[in-house]
Amino acid sequence: MNTKEDISPNIVEFNGVSLRYNKGPEILKDISFVLEPRSFYFMTGESGAGKTSLLSLLYLHLEPTRGRIRLFGQAVDMMSRATKAQFRRQIGVVFQDYRLLNHLNAFDNVALPLRLAGEKEADIKKHVSELLSWVGLEKQMKSYPEELAGGEQQRIAIARAVIHKPTLLLADEPTGNVDDAMAKRLMYLFLELNKLGTTIVVATHNVGLVKNFHFPQLHLSEGHVTQVPASGTSYTDMAAKLLKREEKNVEKI
Amino acid sequence: MSKKSDFLFNKESTHFFLPWMCALMVFMTTLILAGGMSIHNSLKLWQKGVAESLTVQIATYDDDGNSRGELVYRDIENALTLLRTTPGVLGAMVLNDDQMQELMVPWLGTDAVISQLPLPKLIDVSVDASRPPMLEQLKADLEQAVPGAILDSHRIWLADLVHFASAILSLIGFIVILLFITVAITVMYTTKSMLSIQEHILDLVHMLGAKDLYITNRYAWHNFKTALSGSFIGFVIAIPIMFGVTMFLKSVSGELLQSSLSATQWGLLILVPFAVAGLTFFTTYKTVLTYLRKFV
Ligand SMILES: Nc1ncnc2c1ncn2[C@@H]1O[C@H](COP(=O)(O)OP(=O)(O)O)[C@@H](O)[C@H]1O
Ligand SMILES: [Mg+2]
Repeated sequence: MNTKEDISPNIVEFNGVSLRYNKGPEILKDISFVLEPRSFYFMTGESGAGKTSLLSLLYLHLEPTRGRIRLFGQAVDMMSRATKAQFRRQIGVVFQDYRLLNHLNAFDNVALPLRLAGEKEADIKKHVSELLSWVGLEKQMKSYPEELAGGEQQRIAIARAVIHKPTLLLADEPTGNVDDAMAKRLMYLFLELNKLGTTIVVATHNVGLVKNFHFPQLHLSEGHVTQVPASGTSYTDMAAKLLKREEKNVEKI
Repeated sequence: MSKKSDFLFNKESTHFFLPWMCALMVFMTTLILAGGMSIHNSLKLWQKGVAESLTVQIATYDDDGNSRGELVYRDIENALTLLRTTPGVLGAMVLNDDQMQELMVPWLGTDAVISQLPLPKLIDVSVDASRPPMLEQLKADLEQAVPGAILDSHRIWLADLVHFASAILSLIGFIVILLFITVAITVMYTTKSMLSIQEHILDLVHMLGAKDLYITNRYAWHNFKTALSGSFIGFVIAIPIMFGVTMFLKSVSGELLQSSLSATQWGLLILVPFAVAGLTFFTTYKTVLTYLRKFV
């Protein structure tokens, strides 16, 4: 059997990455870090520190003004548009502002990644219904986003991000609009996904959440990233135990 | 395409303007083309009429019955010179007595003594049927250069008609091209406005990993279907109007206008809605593909 390094390169590598919007100041300055496969990180930092901007670089919505990003072992600036699209399908994103489509009901919003991937309708029906039930929205499946409360919309956004079991999940303040009990439940959903092999980054300024779950942090301050604790100690015991079960998923990477 | 997978399009996706624009364009193009085709068909008939060679008569006796003698030869020279320098005239030749006699046989029999009859001299003029000379002008020139010369005039108006019809056909070709350019430009702007109204949808599906070609194809087919339905409405409305106009022209022009179309021409007309829808597909495709480049 191959060693882990052979078959799964780092999920993300930032190398001297800087970002500025148009002619504005640098929001991110010379950032370098690595995210290993199956790791779970919090991204912390005050409002305006650049969390959303950094995540946008990760989900290939923005390009760095300087430096290089490698995703799943490939340099992003060398990728063709088609390859980028392919990689985006392996990333789940919970947007801070949800970005649900108002012309689709809850079910169809969550089904979107599966439909883009060309899954069978029968499978889609099964998986989407299960997941929506899990996040407590079985009664709202046919509701449109505008008919739902903020917390319900947020759960739909989360369901859409995880429905296709992405290799990398990026969640931008995913628990900002739900009560503590639901926040915990959603964190367990992420943990569950993490066990199955998904690398997870949760941006948050919810201090309680960070304290409750002992995951390493990417801390953003004044444009710089600090890894707390330092990189290399980010594997959970859980992940190691479940390595056997994950082989299938790893081979997909 | 099942309704379930129409996530790219919301209620605003079908620009109300697109099907009606296509209907109007197909309506106009079909009628104009049908008109052009019937002119084209008639043109061949008219050209045949013009192509039968023209004749110019030079009188050999004056009004009082006296021989004009040498004057006749001078007139013939002048007429030939004029004819041979007229655009559209391929050649001009004086018929000699034998040829005259041949022409006269049906009327006078073989015994007739041509030289004893006060027959005019005839100049046979062969004409380029596709670009016949301006006969009205030629008639005037001839009368000035050779008083008493007679150009047979029953074909003059036919030749004028050929000129006019050729010009109309070029104009129709030009108008049809303009109509198609209008379709392309309108589709481009309509698509751009659709795209900017739906930018949030595009941005999202792009981030979810939809490929440019996937989005582009979906848009192109969406607009194609919209355009085709509009186009057929335009075509269906054009047909009875075409028949009405045909009937009317038949009643006023008799045999002059060859208004019935051949099977091939009908086939071409039926292609018009597809051509407009196809052009819509192509233009949408290009527009969307270009637009998507703004996303990283
Ligand atoms: N689209 C944008 N154009 C210009 N400036 C932006 C844009 N998005 C964010 N910024 C700026 O970048 C900084 C970081 O913002 P953001 O990444 O949203 O931080 P956070 O998510 O940590 O609150 C802020 O100063 C913000 O004003
Ligand atoms: Mg933010």
